[in-house]
Amino acid sequence: MLMSLLSEEVPVLVQGITGRAGRSHALQMLAAGTRIVGGVASPGAKPNDGPPGIPVFADCAAAVKATGARASVALVPPMGALAAARDAFGAGIKLLVSVTEGVPVHDAIRAAALAREHGATWVGPSTPGLAVPGRMKMGFLPEVTLKPGNIGVMSKSGTLSYETNYRLVRQGLGQSLWLGVGGDPVKGTRFADLLPLFAAHDGTRAVLLIGEIGGTEEEDCAAAIKRMGFDKPVFAVLAGASAREGVTMGHAGALIQGGLGTHASKTAALKDAGVQVHQHIDELVGAMVRTLGSK
Amino acid sequence: MLLLEHDAKTLLAKDGVAVPPGVLIESLDALAGADLPPGPWVVKAQVPVGGRGKAGGIRMADDASSLVEALGAVLAMRIKGHAVQGCRVESRRAGTEVFLSFAVDAAAGAVRMLFSAQGGVDIESVAPGVLRDALVPPQLDAMLAALPWLLEGAPPHIAAAVADAGERLAEIFLRHEALLLEINPLFVNPDGSWTAGDARFALDENALPRQPEQMVLLTAREVAYPDALFKYRNGFDYIVVDHGGEIGLVTTGAGLSMKIIDDLTALGRRPYNFVDIRSGQFRGDPGRLITVMRDIARAPNIRVVLVNIFAGITHLGEFTKLLAQALAAVPELRVPVVARLVGNGLDDARVILAEQAPAVELQVDLEQALARVLEIAGPAHA
Repeated sequence: MLMSLLSEEVPVLVQGITGRAGRSHALQMLAAGTRIVGGVASPGAKPNDGPPGIPVFADCAAAVKATGARASVALVPPMGALAAARDAFGAGIKLLVSVTEGVPVHDAIRAAALAREHGATWVGPSTPGLAVPGRMKMGFLPEVTLKPGNIGVMSKSGTLSYETNYRLVRQGLGQSLWLGVGGDPVKGTRFADLLPLFAAHDGTRAVLLIGEIGGTEEEDCAAAIKRMGFDKPVFAVLAGASAREGVTMGHAGALIQGGLGTHASKTAALKDAGVQVHQHIDELVGAMVRTLGSK
Repeated sequence: MLLLEHDAKTLLAKDGVAVPPGVLIESLDALAGADLPPGPWVVKAQVPVGGRGKAGGIRMADDASSLVEALGAVLAMRIKGHAVQGCRVESRRAGTEVFLSFAVDAAAGAVRMLFSAQGGVDIESVAPGVLRDALVPPQLDAMLAALPWLLEGAPPHIAAAVADAGERLAEIFLRHEALLLEINPLFVNPDGSWTAGDARFALDENALPRQPEQMVLLTAREVAYPDALFKYRNGFDYIVVDHGGEIGLVTTGAGLSMKIIDDLTALGRRPYNFVDIRSGQFRGDPGRLITVMRDIARAPNIRVVLVNIFAGITHLGEFTKLLAQALAAVPELRVPVVARLVGNGLDDARVILAEQAPAVELQVDLEQALARVLEIAGPAHA
């Protein structure tokens, strides 16, 4: 279901297209191959505040009716993220990427529930987005880190995934699909949700998991790898080995509480599931090159 | 962000929840003038982490001399790396102890309600079957509807008291958009009333802009919540991780910034700060760089500063101009600066640095930049 939406043929909306970020990223996504068919205005904006050549609508319902859009990227302020999700899912959007940082957690719970009710996929919040390099991207993963290839990437962190993939690309490797799940505690799509997709996708030969302290997402993914007998090689790098309990490290989800969510716990769970966990990015890149071959 | 217990109880008491009378004492000197509640007392360390009881941060005191002794001992403690910010000195209570907790369950994307008729202890040690739980959406009707299920099998006088507590606390949990509200022990008194013996109350920093009452509470105790208040006021994350640290960091992105700290720490080095400066939000203003560099310049042991910017969207030429402006605005920062820049506009950045901030050493590879930082920092302190 999700894979069929990750195509350059799928019509995509940009919610918040009349804002500074919305305008500029709509054009960059278009340049990356995404079929951007329209935008939704930020509250109070005029339709002609959008980028030239892309029709702007008052809401997703109108945009979907006019364009047939099936996916959307929301670049809206934190307090508007839930309303944007309600607008999108209510209009029949089946894939929503929310890049917004700082979404209140109770709002994220409600948005995730809306996605489930509508049988839609929600990616984010607090994600740089997703990309099928060379074909399409939703969000703002940097072009310099993208290259068509056979690694399925899933990451909580933007910058750590940029740095790692930049080094992989310099070694000739690339991505079949890269999806940022985001650094918030409550989110639409978690690591374990992506395993069936990577398992079924012929173009994916290995998986790169970029995690960090906080929550149980890495541990849950490790359990799912074992449960489903996921048989493609999985590599991981985890941030936050030196973080103290009770201190939130930038990402709202990156918080060790009550001894849960530690780097040690995640490393142990992933290793137990057969994942290669590397301390250093260069070691990880070297191991992936050895497994997948350099070009 | 976990509130100090004292603040949590202050907030709960304002909403009509009964808590044992108590005062916050921040030093032994303050004890003399304190309006103490009736003894005997319990002396409780105020730290933003759980597990303080196991760590020795909760002590009993029956008389004035044992109170001084307990207070002195607990005030001098560090618990899980956090200095004790004060002690709540509280009248000791007795009664039937139960456990009630509402928490955001991130994996389930719902609110998890937990109840145990055995409270007052570490909840992990409760026998299987005693702990009852329900997963519900963050809505009052759903939380109230789950209470009878949670309380099924509890003795009637307990069930009645906890039903009342649950209703009151669910409303507070939702209105405050809390991540956690755990009362353990919750005392059920012989007359059927109830008292919140302890309170773990975690707020959502992301909700602060629409929670003015919480802002009042946090700003009244700046020293306890510096990181959350800094983020609220400045729009980015900045955390001093080691006051004696030698390496100042000016980095963007939470994950990579954390990883750089991990790598330096693994090498036995002492990074001073964490920062996710979000260079994509500068919009031509060097203010964030100046704020961070001023603080780093005040740190006593700084030997070198590492700037790391991965410019996916940001233009490095633009960033470098702002970096040069910030360095000029913070002349008190006298240590060498290594800037690792990669991405859009690197050639422009090179020219601008050479013209406007020639002392900054440019690196394009992160590992090489880290190696240079270590070289400049010299041998690690013992």
